Order: sequence, then C-alpha cells, then structure tokens
Amino acid sequence: MPVDLDNSSTASGEASITSSGNQNPLPKSTAKKKRNLPGMPDPDAEVIALSPRTLLATNRFVCEICNKGFQRDQNLQLHRRGHNLPWKLRQRSSKEVKKRVYVCPEITCVHHHPSRALGDLTGIKKHFCRKHGEKKWKCDKCSKKYAVQSDWKAHSKICGTREYKCDCGTVFSRRDSFITHRAFCDVLAEERAKAQTQPQPQNQNQTATKESDPKPQTTDSSLPSAAAPVSVSVPESGKVPAPAPAPAPAVPQLTSVISSSALPIQSSDKSFNFPGYFVFRFFKSGPLMLYLPSILDHVIELPENPSPIMEESLAPAPAAPPTGLNGSCSSSASLGSNGSSGSGSSCSVFASLFASSTTSASLKPQQPPVFIDLFQSVGQPDCLTDLAPSPSIEPISLCLSTNHGSSIFGTAGQEHRQYAPPPQPAMSATALLQKAAQMGATATNASLLHGLGIASLSSSSAQQDNLQWGQSQVEPENTSVVAGLGLGLPRDGSSGLKELMMGTPVFGPKQATLDFLGLGMAAGGSPSGGLSALITSIGGELDVVAAATSFGGGDFTSKDFGRSS
Amino acid sequence: MMQFSEIPPLHQIPPFSIPTMNKNHIHRARPWPGFPTSKGLGSFGDANCMEQLLVHCANAIESNDATLAQQILWVLNNIAPPDGDSNQRLTCAFLRALIVRAAKSGTCKMLAAMANAHCNLSIDIHTFSVIELASFVDLTPWHRFGFTAANAAILEAVEGYSVIHIVDLSLTHCMQIPTLIDAIASRLEGPPLVKLTVAGGATEDVPPMLDLSYEELGSKLINFARSRNVVLEFRAIPSTYADGFSSLIEQLRVQHLVYAESGEALVINCHMMLHYLPEETLSPFSNVNSNPYSFEPSSTQSLRTMFLKALRGLDPTVVVLVDEDADFTSNNLVCRLRAAFNYLWIPYDTVDTFLPQGSRQRQWYEADICWKIENVIAHEGLQRVERLEPKSRWVQRMRNAGFRGVSFGEEAISEVKTMLDEHAAGWGLKKEEDDLVLTWKGHNVVFATAWLPA
Repeated sequence: MPVDLDNSSTASGEASITSSGNQNPLPKSTAKKKRNLPGMPDPDAEVIALSPRTLLATNRFVCEICNKGFQRDQNLQLHRRGHNLPWKLRQRSSKEVKKRVYVCPEITCVHHHPSRALGDLTGIKKHFCRKHGEKKWKCDKCSKKYAVQSDWKAHSKICGTREYKCDCGTVFSRRDSFITHRAFCDVLAEERAKAQTQPQPQNQNQTATKESDPKPQTTDSSLPSAAAPVSVSVPESGKVPAPAPAPAPAVPQLTSVISSSALPIQSSDKSFNFPGYFVFRFFKSGPLMLYLPSILDHVIELPENPSPIMEESLAPAPAAPPTGLNGSCSSSASLGSNGSSGSGSSCSVFASLFASSTTSASLKPQQPPVFIDLFQSVGQPDCLTDLAPSPSIEPISLCLSTNHGSSIFGTAGQEHRQYAPPPQPAMSATALLQKAAQMGATATNASLLHGLGIASLSSSSAQQDNLQWGQSQVEPENTSVVAGLGLGLPRDGSSGLKELMMGTPVFGPKQATLDFLGLGMAAGGSPSGGLSALITSIGGELDVVAAATSFGGGDFTSKDFGRSS
Repeated sequence: MMQFSEIPPLHQIPPFSIPTMNKNHIHRARPWPGFPTSKGLGSFGDANCMEQLLVHCANAIESNDATLAQQILWVLNNIAPPDGDSNQRLTCAFLRALIVRAAKSGTCKMLAAMANAHCNLSIDIHTFSVIELASFVDLTPWHRFGFTAANAAILEAVEGYSVIHIVDLSLTHCMQIPTLIDAIASRLEGPPLVKLTVAGGATEDVPPMLDLSYEELGSKLINFARSRNVVLEFRAIPSTYADGFSSLIEQLRVQHLVYAESGEALVINCHMMLHYLPEETLSPFSNVNSNPYSFEPSSTQSLRTMFLKALRGLDPTVVVLVDEDADFTSNNLVCRLRAAFNYLWIPYDTVDTFLPQGSRQRQWYEADICWKIENVIAHEGLQRVERLEPKSRWVQRMRNAGFRGVSFGEEAISEVKTMLDEHAAGWGLKKEEDDLVLTWKGHNVVFATAWLPA
C-alpha cells in the first residue's frame, strides 16, 4: 500500500521507486537531471565565499614571461616550469587536509548558504555560470545556448546525433517527443503528399478498383480477421523513414484510398461499410467526422448498403444539420464537412472553437492585476475616481459588448448548453481589438458595471437622482456608470455599509467610504428596488439592458451596447 | 485538528463549526520545501494557513456573510499575489474561484460585483495548435506517465492480434497515439491493422483545447501511421461524457456484434477522461429519465457505473484507466476545497522545474489549472465536471463492473522509469499492488491501472 513519503529523496517505502539520483540514470539524461539537493557539505569544512569577479577570473595568476593567466597558482607554477623558471608546488601539509567548500555569490541562490555549499571550485564556478551567468555559447546547429563552454562542447559533439530533428527544424532530445511531434507536424503531410502524387497519379475511380483488388482474396469468409496483411505491394515511394522492420507480407499502402486528402470520405463510397454507419444513418445525423475505410471494411461489406446513400449523408458541402443525436453531439456536422461549411447553429460549438483558436493567442498575456485594485479602492475611497480610468476599469463600455462572449459566470445566457461550462475564450474579434484588461470581464459585465457604477457614484457623493446624474456625467471612459447608477443607487445604503465598513477597520479609513460600492445594502439586508434588480441581473445580459433602460440610462446604455458590440 | 493553531483568529471571525470537516478528509501536513514567508505577514504566508483562510472564506460565502467574506478576501488577497510563489499562486487561483462562486449566490453577489469592477476574473484558456499541444504535453510526466504505462500495457495485451481496435478516450486529443503506433509498428510479428476510434468533441469545453478538428487530426495520424507501415483507420464518433458516451458505446456495441468473433483486439484507453462522467453525487434528478443506455434497464445507477458496465459488455481485450488521484466529488464545498488545495498544489509546485517564469506556455499551463480550480470550487451540478475520484474508488468500480486488475509488466515499469529520468528529480514511481502511481515528492499524482474482463 502507499507509503506516505515526505520527500522524494527519501522515497523508499515498500515498493516505491523514484527517479531520484540514487538510480543509474541513462547517460543522456545525466546532464539534465538534477541531483536531489546538491551540496550537503561536511559541516566541518571551511566555507569559502568568492566574489563573482574572483570566481570568474581567469587570470588571477599571471605568468611574467608570456602574460598568460591562470586561475590557480598551482597551474601557474606548472606553467613556469615550461619557461625554465623556478617553480614550486605547494606540498599538502596535514593541516590542509581540511576540506574547503564554496558558496555561490548569488544571494538568492540556495547555494549561497553555507549549508548548501558545493565541494569544489570548478563546481561552484560552473554552477554560477550555468544558473546565474549569461549563456553565450550557442550551438550552430540547434541554437541551444550554454553558459559553460565545456557544456557547449559536449553538446556540440552529440548535437544531431542523439537529438532528433524534424524537417521543420525543431530538435528533440527524446524520441517520444520527436515521434509525437512528427506525427502532427505539417512536414510529414507535405512529404507524404509529394511522395504520393509522383508515382501514383491515380484518381478516385482507380482507387475504387485498386482498392477492391485485395478484397476477393479474403472476402469468402464472413470473418474479417483474415483481412490483415493482404498483399498488394504498392511500393512505398516516400522518402519517409520507415524504421519498422519490414514485415514479411508487404502491407498494402492503399495510398490513394486512405489518402491525406482533406476529404477522404468522398473517395470511400463503396467501402464505407463500417457497421456503425447504419446507426448513424438511422439517426439521420450524418455526422461522421471522419471515416476511413480499410480492407477490412470491404471484407465485411454488407450488400444491402447502397453507396448512394452514403454519399448523400456524407456529402461534404452543406451537410444536413444533425437532428437525431442529442444536443451535445450537434457540432458534428461541421466536422463532417471538414469544418469549412458549418451548417447553421449546430456547429456553433465548433465554430466558436475555431474562432477562438485564432484569437486566443493574442489574449491578454498575463493574469489580470487581480484583486489588488479592488482592495485598493476599498481602502481608499478617495481614489475611486482616479481609479476609474485606469486600465482595468476604463473599458467598461467594452465589457458591455462582450456579453456574447464566454464567461466564467455565463449562466443565464448559456444554460441551454447544459453540460458545458461556457466556452472559455471565444471572444469576438471586436473584443480582441480592445485592451487586455477588459477582455476577461465578459459576461460578468453586469456586476462589473454595477460595482463600478456604484462606486463612482458614491465617491462623488452624488446622492441625487441617478438618472440625471448619470446622463449628465456621461463620459467616454465611464459610460457604464449610468447602468450602475440605475441599478445600485445606494440611497439607503449607508446603514448597511456602515456595518460592513465598521466591522472591517482595514477597509474604512473614512466614513465617506460607507456608501461606496453599495455593498452594504446587500449586507444590511434592506436592498432597494434597484439593488434587487441588480442582483437578479447579474450574469444575465438581457437583464442588464432591461434594467439599465428602466432606470433611465436606457438611451445611452443601449447606444453603448450597439457601438461597442 | 484544524483549529487556528498558527494564525491568531482574525478580528471578528466567529468560531467556525465546519460540519463535514472531519468526515472523510484526512488532513496532513506536508512538506512545503523552501517556502518563503511573505515579509511582514509572518505565519500568514504558510500554505496551511492559506488553506485555512480559504476554508473560512468558503464558509462565509456559503453562509452569505458578505462582510466576513470580504474580510478574508482582503487578507487572502494580501498574502497571495497572482505572481507570487507557487503556493501564493495556488491560493490566488482559489481566491479567484471563490469570488466567482460568490458572484453566483446570495448577497455575496455584491462582493463579486465589486471585485469585477477592479479585476479580471475570467481565465484565458489557450487554444492549442496541435504542435503546441504536443510539446506542451511533453513538458511534464503528468500525461506522459499515463501514455508510457498505457502504451506498454496495451502493447503487451495485443500481442499476436492482427487487427487492433483502439478506443481512445483521452483528454489530450490523441497525443498518446503516435508513440503507440510507433511501438506497434515495430513489434516483432509485423504491424497490424489499427482502427482508432475517438469520442469526437468529448472535451471541447475542457482544457487543453485544440484548434484542430478531429477530422484533420485523424488524417495526420493516418499519414503518420502510413509512414510507419501501419494501416490506420480513424473514426471520431460524436459523443460526450455528459451522457456517458452513449453514442460511442452504442457504436461499439454494434461493432462488437460483427467483430467479436473475428479475433480483433479491442483496447479501451481511458486517459484522464472518465472522471468527467457524472457520478453518484450529481443530483439524481438531473439524469433521471435520461438513461442514455437503452439497453440498460436500471436508471438508478450513476452514469459512471453504467458506462463501466457497458464497457464490460464489450468484452474488451484490455482496458487501461489512467486518472488523477484525488477526490473532488464531495457535495460539500469545504471538503472539495480542501481536497483540491491538497492536490492542485502539485502542478504549481512542479511548474518551476520545466517552465520559466513569465513564459507563455506557463501562462497556458497555469490558466488550465485555474480553470480546473474554478470548476471544482465555483460550479455545481452538471457544470461541475472535474469529478476526480481516488484510485481506490476506481479500483472498486472496475471490480464491481466485472473487471480484474492486471499488473504492469517489467517492461512497462522500466519504460516509465526511463521516462521519469528525463524529468525533474521530484517525480517518482510507486507500485501499488497491480497499479503504477506517479508521485511528486512522494505524493500521489496520477495512477495507471490495467484491466481485463474478469
């Protein structure tokens, strides 16, 4: 049973194996592998701390004849011998047996501490270069950079031999990585395509006949097991490496049948006899994303399967929207048609997937400034107005527009997709053009707006009619204030807020903070009409519009919606 | 056992009674190597303290105590910057998830409303290109462990078969298949015919997301297989975990009728996918009347159970089940929060060993963890899809469904060990009875089990 281990270095347990250093690592991996906690020196050793300059100095000991520098005196002495100069090697006295250990000059490094000092000067020097130095040695072949010249030399010797290089230029140190990459890299597809067109310019008609060749040999029995290596020796013409030991019976290549063309389905008509097919037809969904025939399918070809139907249901052009299967499968139609002609709403899921694929790369690269701003504003109500145009808040009007996008909340608008949490990054193109900070708020815009609106309102201590205030204050950078006002007018909010703020000394430097945020109203349990509207509208985009309109910001707000969406 | 041993109680925090805390969660201190305490915060920087605060916050949100929640959020916010160390980032992700949850319930909505005004709660889930995904999955043993173990087990199980039908139920969009094909291609008796069936669109809403259709993915795989002299058939059957892959099962059943006698090997490879199947804690009314298995008379069972039984009915040659070893199924938020916190520190802790700070890949990686945390914490019902179960429970499920476990061979173990040697030293391999477990600093991360029909 599992042994609860504290740490991998002690991982032993009854039957536990770890990859930690006590095993015999493969030669290849030694360089990469970190030993567990390197540097656990003898506590009695003398700890030497050298400055980076001294550590990296190459010429501390200079020969007076030729000016050659040495890092160690011993080496200089040996060198002097060559000049026929007097030289002297230090003899080890018994006193010097005391072990020396070296710490890394980098303060933040674990090896800066004497308890983790390294045992020899070369070691600490290499460590310092590798971990804290510039990697100035670059491999010409693979562009890998090294800080230590000897590392670079060692790499250069094996670069291209032990590493796997795809024709696309990517280099891998592990075979598995290379294999996986290779399978999906476009280079392979191009090679295959090239190799395929040259020797075998057959069209699809020929395909059918050629493909059917092997069939008779094995069709007799209804057991398809015999189908395995029917030998139609189509020469393997590609230059693609085939490291597998050539099997005794040549494997049929069927190159043009199982071609790499985007729509292999078309060429597959007669052979499309996978039993599952009938099920699909039954459901009228026609949503086979990809079906590729094989010899085996010929073998068990069922006579009552008319090919025309197959073509019909798999025709790539305007695939009929799948109706039979349940909702969650609905996206298949677009796939069946190679994803190019999504049919109606059924493909929405994948459509959004595709859309997001191109866009998400440019999404805001770092995590949002998260909660800091929030709490800043809590603590410093006076700054609220200043905060408003700051990057994280400024684009409120945009946030309004993104309510069609994905949302972490996204419940109301998307509940029909019952299984799925809302799709994550399916931003509209418009939204993408906006600044990063606003991208995420998405469907929470309701809350966003209101929170901000309330905050702005209270910070300017406007207690009058929200409608007027909002309309008169409309500024490009905080337009949404209107909506917020409409919903969260904290007229009666002070009491609740007081509770809140008083309860948290950290938040409330001033009484003026009390009514900002409107939070207290909720906490105080006496929500006004506006507030409840707010609460209910959070997350629901339609509600937002409605609420905003009804509270008087309507004109402006809907305009804002329109503009930014 | 979980009292305020390390933190002085916060001002005004009432003593909590956490009802389910002792129920089935065994909390244990774990090593937090080199954990730097934030300056000036003293013991607040401790991971256990962070967990405690998160629990308090969750309780406050659950009891609609916006004031208290606000207080704790403030504290948490100060000790857990999003760009802090791994524990701080972990805590920040939970904090974020709690705010999202607050936004959906009760008076705490106001909290979230406020929060949203000032920060961005949404996660940018990267949609990978297939090449990106390949190298992404390759960074850590998290998935590679399962790939390697499963491939070895599959290879062993299909020895001698000339037709191999692989059903790949994998979260990682066939990333395991190339190495499997490669291994199959070089087996002694020559390459077989390989049929590959995947559940199309099964996890289109769960990261990692792929920008490629399964059709294109399939044609790439076919191409690759051909370069290895393997004839591959690829088929994607639109199917979703939400209904227990019912359409996939239905297809396989029909096929089974045809191929069962043919000596075709049927391999079911479940890689981090089955925990999305609804299990017993999902309120029963949501799947009553919707028993997707027309052939299954009882609808009182969970989809998870029904799915496994249906699998057993296919009489597969081998089933490999790989999944994350944690329990996210509790209906109690606090239990779930603790379980997730005590598991998901691992991906944050490991990331330093393979991705530099600030790299794009690291952002993708951490966003995916964030997504998971949010799903566990902020969502309920059908939306909450991350329903991990520990290995012991899966083992029980498999046995109940009529499978018996088989050991991974020496070959598999040495393959996994070799693979782990390519990664940081903290990763380890543990053999528990028949199964293999990937560990990080001694903590279970992912398990791999192999099953035959009993």
